[in-house]
Amino acid sequence: MRWPAFLNLKTIGLLLSGGIAGAVFILVLIEFDHVTSTEEFCTSCHSMTIVAEPYRQSSHYNPTSGVRASCGDCHVSRGVISATWDHVLGTKDLFAQLFGADYDNPVVNLVHLPDAAFHARDWFKKNQSDTCQRCHVLEAIKGTRADTMKVHQEEAEGKSCIDCHINLVHRKVPGKQVFKRDAWNRMVEEEFGLEEGMAEKIRLGQAEPPKL
Amino acid sequence: MKTYAGLVLLFFIFVQPLFAAKVKVDSSEFGVEGGNACVDCHFKTSAGLAEQWKKSKHGQLGMNCLDCHQAKTEDSDAIEHEGFTIATIVSPKDCGRCHVTEYQQNSSSVHANAVSLISKRLPAMAQNLGGKAIVAAGCDQCHGSVVKVKGDGTLDTTTWPNSGIGRVNPDGSKGSCSSCHGRHEFSKAQARDPSSCMRCHSGPDSPDRAIFEASKHGMAFAANKDNMNLDADSWVAGKDYTSGPTCVTCHMGAAGKLPPNHDVGLRNAWNLNTVVSERQQLVIFEDGDKMDLPESQEAPDPGTETTKIDGSLGTVKMVVPSERRRKAMSVVCLECHGKNFVSSFMEQFDSVVKLYNAKFGKPAQAIMEALYDKGLLTPTPFDEAIEFTYWELWHDEGTRARHGAAMASPNHTWWEGMYLVARNFYSKFLPQVKEIAGKEAEALIQKHVKSDTENHGWLDQPNKLSPILGYGNSKPGGE
Repeated sequence: MRWPAFLNLKTIGLLLSGGIAGAVFILVLIEFDHVTSTEEFCTSCHSMTIVAEPYRQSSHYNPTSGVRASCGDCHVSRGVISATWDHVLGTKDLFAQLFGADYDNPVVNLVHLPDAAFHARDWFKKNQSDTCQRCHVLEAIKGTRADTMKVHQEEAEGKSCIDCHINLVHRKVPGKQVFKRDAWNRMVEEEFGLEEGMAEKIRLGQAEPPKL
Repeated sequence: MKTYAGLVLLFFIFVQPLFAAKVKVDSSEFGVEGGNACVDCHFKTSAGLAEQWKKSKHGQLGMNCLDCHQAKTEDSDAIEHEGFTIATIVSPKDCGRCHVTEYQQNSSSVHANAVSLISKRLPAMAQNLGGKAIVAAGCDQCHGSVVKVKGDGTLDTTTWPNSGIGRVNPDGSKGSCSSCHGRHEFSKAQARDPSSCMRCHSGPDSPDRAIFEASKHGMAFAANKDNMNLDADSWVAGKDYTSGPTCVTCHMGAAGKLPPNHDVGLRNAWNLNTVVSERQQLVIFEDGDKMDLPESQEAPDPGTETTKIDGSLGTVKMVVPSERRRKAMSVVCLECHGKNFVSSFMEQFDSVVKLYNAKFGKPAQAIMEALYDKGLLTPTPFDEAIEFTYWELWHDEGTRARHGAAMASPNHTWWEGMYLVARNFYSKFLPQVKEIAGKEAEALIQKHVKSDTENHGWLDQPNKLSPILGYGNSKPGGE
């Protein structure tokens, strides 16, 4: 048996170093995806600390099991390619943070929260709550109430988690179908002691939010 | 002629359909598709309420969760729930989609207006004596809350859960059917049982539980509950049951030719929960709303506008004098009692109310007004001890005496009622007046109390013997 002519030492060397570089690249990507999925990284933007507050009170942060879900566990897809793609798409949030409205301001943050929630819910629906299944296995759900298991075994067919479970982690936002912008704005105004009509103006960028 | 005209009036107001309005809704109108899916889950997650529903008439007829809980996306309290748009609160307006007559009758009743009716009293109780927590868990649980839907779609916990009878619902309708018709079985028998009224009609300001139970009526009910036919479709006193009355019998029920009516106050000739009781005429508005108006106030002419309970303006359709309301109530009595018995009973009752008014209610009211006018009391309620004395005199004890007479409990008329009023008046109220008014007190008491020699003349006879207290038994004139 003879080696093919092109397999000389140089080529082998190139192939090897290419392979190693590729492996390192993948490892770096994995590490990059990991680091950019942590709570620490996400909340390095001030706007994210606002949405992280209710999360830290939620059962996803403090479950009895001791398993803590971090931001990326829910909001970044499984698999290195999808995860990287999610981060690529996520750069639009970075642009919004840098050049968009002042999301660091709690009022601005809150008037825009519903749109963010609807967007996130759509994402979960589209991927059939795939990231939930990082931890939750339908067949394993027993619950603390007697019938929780039965409901998940008999009533969940054709549904994914998000179809029933919303408002688990972050601040409550109504379903998109029944959402009333006016009522939401009134709530914001009450909460921050603003004049009626201000919330909508702030949302549309027509008025300065109060300095808080 | 006058009597004849009265009877005609009586006919129009009280004689509508003779039996409980049957719901005439075709079965194609309910059993909404998708509603059965709710049941599958809810038998697992909340088996109790699902079982109740299944046993209920609703369940048996094939009405499902969505028939009552469905909502339009634009409804202020609509939520998304497992793919359906629903509302947690089923308001009287929702029930009224089928139960049209009951909805209309109840909407204008004192029950439905239980929030507006105490709007002037509430702040002193709620803010001075209690607090927000008490309003939510106390006052509003009977009177009803003004339900607030928050911007995030949740129901404000200071206003919900609530099944107060005058609840102001997110859809604007007033009342809560489940206040009496407990969800999710909505049993007729349960609503007709006095226990459904007693959640609220017990305690100092509405002591009807104790009074009913101590009365012959209550005795008859307790002893014969099994013969009361409580779950019958037709429930006409004197026809479908004869053993005794419940709260519903007299205040809402069908009896003889008198049809049932979900306006609970319709047959009440007096207002018994005021400082001074007055006979009350019933103002009926063009839009069906109703309002009690003391007979000392002039009846508005039909066609004119007048202010309703909630403060809005309404056009008057007619005014029913209190005597007609009394007549309606008497029709119920006549199913079991003779004419003379009924009118004589009413006379005994009226006499107690008049005695309370003249002897205690009016003098106490006049003296308090004078103390406020003279600046001897601050207008702020309940910052002076005498204000509690006065409040309890009419609101607790005085109410108990008057209700006792209305519902024939001798003990509550006297020992639990007028005796306490008298004890309070002579041993607490008047001494406090003397303390507060000093030199001016004697003139006040002379003017408002002692001048009524028939009722209070005994105060000026200090030397009468008192065998009841054991003094003077051996003296001439003693026992």
